[in-house]
Amino acid sequence: MTQSIRVVRALVRRALNEILRVPGAAIPGVLAPTIFMLGLSSVFGKASALSAYHAVDFRTFIVPVGLLQGAGFTGAATGVNLARDIEQGWFDRLLLAPAPRATLLTGVVASAALRALLPGTFLLIVAFSLGVAVPSLLGLLIAAVLVMGLACAMACFSVTLALRFRTQQAAPLMQIASFVGVLFTTSYAPKPLLQDWLRVVADVNPVTRVLEGVRQGFIGGVTWAHTWPALLSVAGLIAVLGWFAARGLRRYSF
Amino acid sequence: MAAIEVSGLEREYRDGLKAVDGIDLEVQPGEVYGFLGPNGAGKTTTVRMLVTLLRPTGGRATVAGYDVATEPQQVRRKIGVALQEAALDLLMTGRELIELQATLHGIPPREVAGRAQDLIGRVGLSDAQERRVGTYSGGMRRRLDLAMALIHAPEVLFLDEPTTGLDPTSRATLWDEVRRLKEDGTTVFLTTQYLEEADQLADRVGIINAGRIVAEGTPQALKAEVGLPHLDLTFDGDVDLVRAQEVLAGFGEVRADTPAGADLSIGVQEGSSAIAPVIRALDEAGMVVGRVELVEPTLDDVFAARTGSHLEGAGASTADVVAAAV
Repeated sequence: MTQSIRVVRALVRRALNEILRVPGAAIPGVLAPTIFMLGLSSVFGKASALSAYHAVDFRTFIVPVGLLQGAGFTGAATGVNLARDIEQGWFDRLLLAPAPRATLLTGVVASAALRALLPGTFLLIVAFSLGVAVPSLLGLLIAAVLVMGLACAMACFSVTLALRFRTQQAAPLMQIASFVGVLFTTSYAPKPLLQDWLRVVADVNPVTRVLEGVRQGFIGGVTWAHTWPALLSVAGLIAVLGWFAARGLRRYSF
Repeated sequence: MAAIEVSGLEREYRDGLKAVDGIDLEVQPGEVYGFLGPNGAGKTTTVRMLVTLLRPTGGRATVAGYDVATEPQQVRRKIGVALQEAALDLLMTGRELIELQATLHGIPPREVAGRAQDLIGRVGLSDAQERRVGTYSGGMRRRLDLAMALIHAPEVLFLDEPTTGLDPTSRATLWDEVRRLKEDGTTVFLTTQYLEEADQLADRVGIINAGRIVAEGTPQALKAEVGLPHLDLTFDGDVDLVRAQEVLAGFGEVRADTPAGADLSIGVQEGSSAIAPVIRALDEAGMVVGRVELVEPTLDDVFAARTGSHLEGAGASTADVVAAAV
């Protein structure tokens, strides 16, 4: 067990090393959620005058969306990085190690959880400086856990594709899950304003629960009724997508 | 127990192509086994199966006593691997990479730094260990790759074309390291397309072509199968060749296929040690030799004899032909 933790830690450290040594490469992923938040709140800011928003400032309403976008970008980047490692032969080196396959997969995916905190932190700094109300510590903590969890789930999805296609050219596919997952929720408008079909999709989309779990700290207050569905949803996503990633790894090697 | 035991090993792809088509081989502990063949012959596919990166579609292989298909984890604990492309993270330093490799192989944390330093020193990278690998030359990357493969003191080391693309100095350094590993008792499975490399390093050689082993044995035995070394002689001035053949009759058989540019070709069992007596005998008979060339059979000759074609690396061999202007 201790050895497995050491391996996971070493792989996470390697992934973080890239951010520290080539910070320029991380800038687009870090800035994008903040740019979306600024752009969307400037364009659609007055929509919050609609009664369905319950007088919540639009910027505050979409900050959680930016946090999830950051998690999605980070998860997709994990798959792209793995595809690059496969192309360059580095992944073979990992597979030659006697460490259990689950440990290698955990190391790759866990790095996404930590990296997802970077765009989220930057977004929050900008948002708070623009007047978005600071949530309670518990609200922030739950948001951080959910963002990290969603990043892991999206990383599992992109890792599955990386193991299947073994090329960085699959990068656009890797971004689809988070893009669709976050878009088909109550990201930009409360449920009463969604079209009927989208309301149905948002109802069954587990990312909606995750979003509501993150959003509760920014709007209103933290409740168990919003927290447990969010935690359960993110755990379910990790379990399902993690199973696919593990199956992909079993098929890739033995 | 053999270090590597392969029986009927096959790898067939979905399109029906058999990259490896039923090979058998055995490598004894402490032996350096040279696996020679042209590009696309099946060398790398064989290695990838033996190191558990690729599942065999037929046959059986054991490494260090463990089956590669059913006991891959045990195999991985016993082997070190330096693959064809030195797959390194260019953003990390040499020391960081070796320490990461040590962690991946389960070496206790208190031993990691010490082992890393030993190996870094052994491959001559002490001064460069804190530099990012992206700044390393090709030879330095290969040496680092080798050090990483050795971090857990493997019983069997697989080197897949370790010197391809290296300059002569880097190649010589790696050869020295392979010799040292052999002295230490490590079994080495070395694939190469360089004849000279196999000749210099391998105790035994297996030659693979189109997925099948076409020849196997010691380099000396394989070369002996295709003929004796011979001396190609060119005389100064007009010489009676019949008289010259009479003088040389005691040294060996005069060959019928004298190469263009030479006057006489004679097979000599003793190789280079026959040069001086032959020249002396001709000199005493009043015949002056202007040029003598010792031509020894190469592993390419072995390959050509078995397959009818030549290895790509045949031109890279320099040790097999010794030319001397007299």
